[in-house]
Amino acid sequence: MGQTVSRRFLMVFGAALVAVAGASFATNYSLWVNGRTGGGVAGNYADFTYWGPAGTAAGVNKKAVNWDGYSHISDKNYLVRNALDCYCTGTNWCYVAAHSAGDLMIGYTLAMYGGSARYKKNATPGSDGSCANSDGTTQTGWNIKWVDVAAGASGGSELANAGDWALSEPLVSDLKTGTARAMYDHNNTRSKMFYLWAGAKGTLYSGVLPGQDDEAVAYHSSGGVSGSGGGSYCNPSDWFCNDLTLGTAPTEGGTAKWANHTVVFRDDAEAYNHYTNGNWQGTVGLVRTDMVNYAK
Amino acid sequence: MKPVAWLAGAALAGLIAWWAWPRGPAVPEAQAAVQRGAHLALPAAPASAAASRPQGSPFTDAALRERLAQRDLLLQRLERARQTLALYRDQTRYPHESRPIAEHPDQVHPFAPIRESLPLRFPGSKGAIPGVRILTTQDRVFMSGEEVVKVSVSAQDEAGKTLPLLITRAVAFDLPDPRQAAGRPQLALDFSGSEGVYSAQFQPSRTAFADFAGTLRLQVTLSQDGRQGVINFDVVYQSLVPAEWGAISDRVADGSLDFVVGLNVKQAGRYVINARVDDAKGQPFALVSFNEELGSGAQTAHLRVFGKLLRDGAPAMPLRLRDLQGFLLLPDSFPDRAMLARREGVVYKSGSYSLKGFSDAEWTSEERNRYLAELGKDVSQLEAQIKPPGQ
Repeated sequence: MGQTVSRRFLMVFGAALVAVAGASFATNYSLWVNGRTGGGVAGNYADFTYWGPAGTAAGVNKKAVNWDGYSHISDKNYLVRNALDCYCTGTNWCYVAAHSAGDLMIGYTLAMYGGSARYKKNATPGSDGSCANSDGTTQTGWNIKWVDVAAGASGGSELANAGDWALSEPLVSDLKTGTARAMYDHNNTRSKMFYLWAGAKGTLYSGVLPGQDDEAVAYHSSGGVSGSGGGSYCNPSDWFCNDLTLGTAPTEGGTAKWANHTVVFRDDAEAYNHYTNGNWQGTVGLVRTDMVNYAK
Repeated sequence: MKPVAWLAGAALAGLIAWWAWPRGPAVPEAQAAVQRGAHLALPAAPASAAASRPQGSPFTDAALRERLAQRDLLLQRLERARQTLALYRDQTRYPHESRPIAEHPDQVHPFAPIRESLPLRFPGSKGAIPGVRILTTQDRVFMSGEEVVKVSVSAQDEAGKTLPLLITRAVAFDLPDPRQAAGRPQLALDFSGSEGVYSAQFQPSRTAFADFAGTLRLQVTLSQDGRQGVINFDVVYQSLVPAEWGAISDRVADGSLDFVVGLNVKQAGRYVINARVDDAKGQPFALVSFNEELGSGAQTAHLRVFGKLLRDGAPAMPLRLRDLQGFLLLPDSFPDRAMLARREGVVYKSGSYSLKGFSDAEWTSEERNRYLAELGKDVSQLEAQIKPPGQ
């Protein structure tokens, strides 16, 4: 009897040690993917210039996945894949936050490359933002738990349609509503939930951006509404326009949201615009709070 | 998170949870608050906080409120962790490449023209001309080889009545791209009108843009009763056609139904291919896809209708493969794809199989096991932090 007990004790103790040892190599990271205009140095994961002061809390082990916010999504996508390879493979896991065109960037990444074989990396990036292989083995896709999106532009913006934004900027042509929506299957998130924050403090372009907008994107994009662009979606206080519903439910009027897209925040008070102002502002501030609370 | 910090944090959280854990029905109330969407606000101070504080408590009212808020946050984290696990577990009963079509509402008819309703205006003007909407259609964005894009434009009032419209200028030109030599002359476009709807076709391969790779803009200047504006249609053109479609067959494999699509690959690389699967009555049933590397020469892409999806959905046989499309993905470049010719409509009918011949087992893979283990661990760790010792 005593021998049995001590054997069981040793088994349990051994299992506990294995669990602790395994845990010691597992790290969670919070990856922030910027939008148009960029600002941070590509490959420097500590440079939060786009977002705000780097000392601000923004989720566990935060990393800035910088790209220029100017080039085509496809041209700079390797920077995002590099970051995901570095921090979201092997025993490491990631939470992802994205703003504006960063939504298009991460959605494109998952839809196009989310099922590709990835070398497991050592999470120690070089100056170009890439990491060395850890053990030479591969895995399918990346380890991502969920994605937070502020003012998502994966549905495009009418400001890109008519030429309000500079023609010389390659990203602008990606952000044309028809192009952004045709670029990839937005429903294909590989079963990761996209949590959406949609701002509505837009006034300058109310004649251009349909329904509610944050001065750069309308609710049809920031609210993850599927189908063609141009749909008008509003807050419940507007009786003459279909509501953008919270959650995953179709909009008032019955248009479905993209699969695995859920509206966490709709700006009923019209208090949040599109811009970070270099200080974690706009809906990015709300996403930052969510990352602090949930990305542990 | 580092292990020492994690263990210390878990121990501290456990102590706090044990001390702060209410006796009675408080937990269901907190969970109900989460479901209602209560969002991380600190609980309001009770009217008589001192009176509600347990006698002998070493904490101030503010500290008590802080601990309650921390417990609420833990509950909300647990709720999200459970949702994340449940979503993943439920959706990955079928592989990512074999999905119910209901999950892809805007992929049911991929070749239907893109329809948009736009204001009449010039770029830079903050407002739009009131009472006029410009309706456009465009049947493709990405195109290769000999493909032709069809576009149309019309004007309506707010009630949906078609308004007279004039096209005063229509040209095609390339958008600036440092990889392309600038200075190609603009091309005039011919629009023809009927009952207020003007349409045009554009085939880059028959123009000076035949060797172009990038974004071509079809720009249309409109006049509605003297009020002017501009509409742009963009297409992303790549002259390369990287492969030709071959024969299609079907077979039962691994408890699933595979549509085997033949390809004559001229340029090796990652091919992204998808098609819709309709049942015998033409009801859309599934979206099947392929995203893998292919070598050059004769190749096949397997579009799998997963066994359990068939068993759960029980579509009427035979199945129809419809609207087949694909492209070669060109990583880290623009254009990022070279399209294969569209295969529109029903391109193949399967044999009639008994549904019982397919597996009803859930999808298993290293990827799924990895996710379920990690997301399950998140849930159990949070449950352990919240659960008071001894329960």
